[in-house]
Amino acid sequence: MAGEAARPGEAGDAIGGVIPRAVHAPASVAEAAEVLRSAAAARQRLAFLGGGTDLGTGAAPAALDAVVRTARLARIVEYAPSDQIVVAEAGVTLAALQAALGRERQRLALDPPWPERATLGGVVAANAYGALRTRYGSVRDLLIGATLVRAEGTVVKSGGKVVKNVAGFDVARLMVGSLGTLAMVAVANFRVHPLPEVVETVVVPGLAPGAVWGLVRALRGARLEPAATAALGAVARLDLGVRFEGFEKGVRDQAARAVEIAAAAGHDPVRGEAAAAFWGRHDARRRAGPVRLRVQAVPAALEAVARAALAPLEALLADAGVVWYPALGTGFVSGAPAAPAELAGAVAGARRALAAAGGTLTVAAAPAELAPAPDPWGPQPPAFALMRALKERFDPERRLAPGRFVGGL
Amino acid sequence: MLAERIAEIVGRDHCITDAAELETYSCDGLTHRRVRPAVVALPATTEEVAAVVLAAREAGVPIVPRGSGTGLSGGALPVEGCVLVGLSRMNRILEVDLENGRARVQPGVTNLSVTAAVAASGWYYAPDPSSQSVCSIGGNVAENSGGAHCLKYGFTVNHVLSARVVLDGGEVVEIGGPSLDPVGYDLLAPLVGSEGMFGIVTEVTLRLLRKPEATRTFLAVFPSTTEAGNAVSGIIGAGILPAAIEMMDALAIQAAKAATGLAWPDEGAILLMDADGPAAEAEDTAARAVEIARAAGATLVRLPADDAERDLMWKGRKCAFAAVGRISPSYLVEDGVIPRSEIARVLAEIAAMAGAAGLRVANVFHAGDGNLHPLVLYDERIPGQLQAAEKLGADILALCVRCGGSITGEHGVGNEKAQAMSLMFSADDLDAMSAVRCAFDPALRFNPGKVFPTPRLCGETPGPYRPHPAELAGQAERW
Repeated sequence: MAGEAARPGEAGDAIGGVIPRAVHAPASVAEAAEVLRSAAAARQRLAFLGGGTDLGTGAAPAALDAVVRTARLARIVEYAPSDQIVVAEAGVTLAALQAALGRERQRLALDPPWPERATLGGVVAANAYGALRTRYGSVRDLLIGATLVRAEGTVVKSGGKVVKNVAGFDVARLMVGSLGTLAMVAVANFRVHPLPEVVETVVVPGLAPGAVWGLVRALRGARLEPAATAALGAVARLDLGVRFEGFEKGVRDQAARAVEIAAAAGHDPVRGEAAAAFWGRHDARRRAGPVRLRVQAVPAALEAVARAALAPLEALLADAGVVWYPALGTGFVSGAPAAPAELAGAVAGARRALAAAGGTLTVAAAPAELAPAPDPWGPQPPAFALMRALKERFDPERRLAPGRFVGGL
Repeated sequence: MLAERIAEIVGRDHCITDAAELETYSCDGLTHRRVRPAVVALPATTEEVAAVVLAAREAGVPIVPRGSGTGLSGGALPVEGCVLVGLSRMNRILEVDLENGRARVQPGVTNLSVTAAVAASGWYYAPDPSSQSVCSIGGNVAENSGGAHCLKYGFTVNHVLSARVVLDGGEVVEIGGPSLDPVGYDLLAPLVGSEGMFGIVTEVTLRLLRKPEATRTFLAVFPSTTEAGNAVSGIIGAGILPAAIEMMDALAIQAAKAATGLAWPDEGAILLMDADGPAAEAEDTAARAVEIARAAGATLVRLPADDAERDLMWKGRKCAFAAVGRISPSYLVEDGVIPRSEIARVLAEIAAMAGAAGLRVANVFHAGDGNLHPLVLYDERIPGQLQAAEKLGADILALCVRCGGSITGEHGVGNEKAQAMSLMFSADDLDAMSAVRCAFDPALRFNPGKVFPTPRLCGETPGPYRPHPAELAGQAERW
């Protein structure tokens, strides 16, 4: 086999507690393809592993013969600052990519937690995101193409290296959030954006969920365009951070207007130094665990979602906290299990409440010893038969992280 | 008889079998390729669509879905013996939810009527293909349509939250959901842009946006496309994200003037740019861009005095395709993408290629994202000129691919560019796309003959089922 020989798996290579027999670390797409071809010939079950920041998502794989680590797929293949696109291998960490882009005063507008560890392949596979999603969208909105290695070891390309492109069906975007159960993302092509000249945050502390939505709605009504909005804290008492980015004049003007709007609503907004610490707190809460639940609902339902889904979960967690992105209707509840036996039931209850608001809940992290363990995905989605058909077409022998995805896919 | 069965389903008035009437449906915006369908069904509900699909399936006949028929790549070109399913009667906006910024619509609703329904409340639907007053949302979903403003706001795929789809078995499936990140594979990603080959979309939930507080437009005139191209690079390089930045070359300017009576100067190139956002930001951004355009050699910069003048400027741009009809009996609309930094070089090469072919090419395009629309002018009365124009069009696409670009930025592959897919994708790449299609439509019922350069089969669905050793060992179970 090309590249380094496989080494035996160790506890640090485990996915969902399943330790693989072998670990591969291909150093090129060609080597990765060779690894997958050999594994196919031996009918081995595989999983792909980047920085391991989202391994808590999904069920434990049924079995793993080998893990393919992407750490040595660490090249930025092509970066064209004037075309604002970058093509990079799956093992490049977000921080390494941002450092390279930063030298040209650009960035990938994705800011999930653990950028030092999170790899591009992992970010795609887990559909990881941060507060910038408010303005720039998620992975699917920034990914313009990919090189994949299919289950049998075939290297395929989808999309391209230009932002605007509708040639062929979008196989690259299909990989977003698929947790490596359809193919290996070996190279990802992204659109990048200019770094802002100025950044300013306005923080409005101590809001009830209804007030958070009211304020976000008022900012929207005033046609302000924050780059990020996040509500942070305990469900009943959230601090709303509103970040503006861009050229000096526009940013200062918007921040001043946001302060006026918040003050007129009877709140006590702060700017400058007092607001600067907000994003550090946000990042810390995004990393918090060991229980971390990912929640989605229609944005206007925040008050009901907080009451019927977020608060009951928070009540069962110690050091509990919430990050909610109110403009998007997505967020996370995290903490340590304070009533471990009740958590799985509360997760199921929260799912029922969320369904009424068009929402869903997935487990982003939970300690293995939790019993009963919360269902990582919840009920099968309406299009499950199509998802199963897709899995059959991409991985007919069910060798890629078998069982990790929704409904045992 | 299939036609009889379809007439029973949709009503005799909405089932077309008359040869002259069928001719209307024999092509879309790619008018020089025509195939008459066997029968046209115009269903009014999802249930009728499902019943028509089942009838076609029982008869073993292919189905070609069609929206408004404005597509420029032959995506709605019928195939021999097909049932063409026209969705123009499913043209209702079912629900508008401004609190959540969403609208649920039927596929026959026109793009612009979505915006019209919410404009009074200060909202709009962002993707804005030039044909937006007539093109349908269903067609937009099929082709992943863009428009002038997608550099900043994205394409259809970025604005669809969910879709109801009728599959070959007549099943009706909801894909996506009301909130972000629905559980499971992102089936919406390949569905949008699937060119009618996965099923028939009968309902779509769209994301709506707040209309920006301010839009600042300017028009800048340059001696040639080289200076205009440099201005675009300068503006983007300065960290500005224009809402739109459009370029027209001399021939396109001439055509637009003839059609609209606009008093634009006869120069080498015009840039039309929108900066939008909160007022202070739009103002500042536009001022910076104007400065860059002047430094790049703009001989004239015009700021519209009012909305009426702004609308007129945009009218000149949006009517440019049609306007070319004033200076040429016929023309082909191409749709290639190149890296933005290559604009000047590629335009020069296109001019040289056109010269060698003895044809004229007008260029009207989305400069910000390098999406070229070369309009290849020809006269069909001159024997061989259509063929020469088609050859030049294909050569231009090949040039785009050589530069690292794409054969289509927004019009789709359709029938027209199916052969050109081989320029961009290997057989293995196409296999992966085919695998997605086969998951949706293993019988290849929907819209055959599009996208793929050679016919593809889905093969056996994997099976018969053999238990995996892990299952036998009780470590796993079949899904």
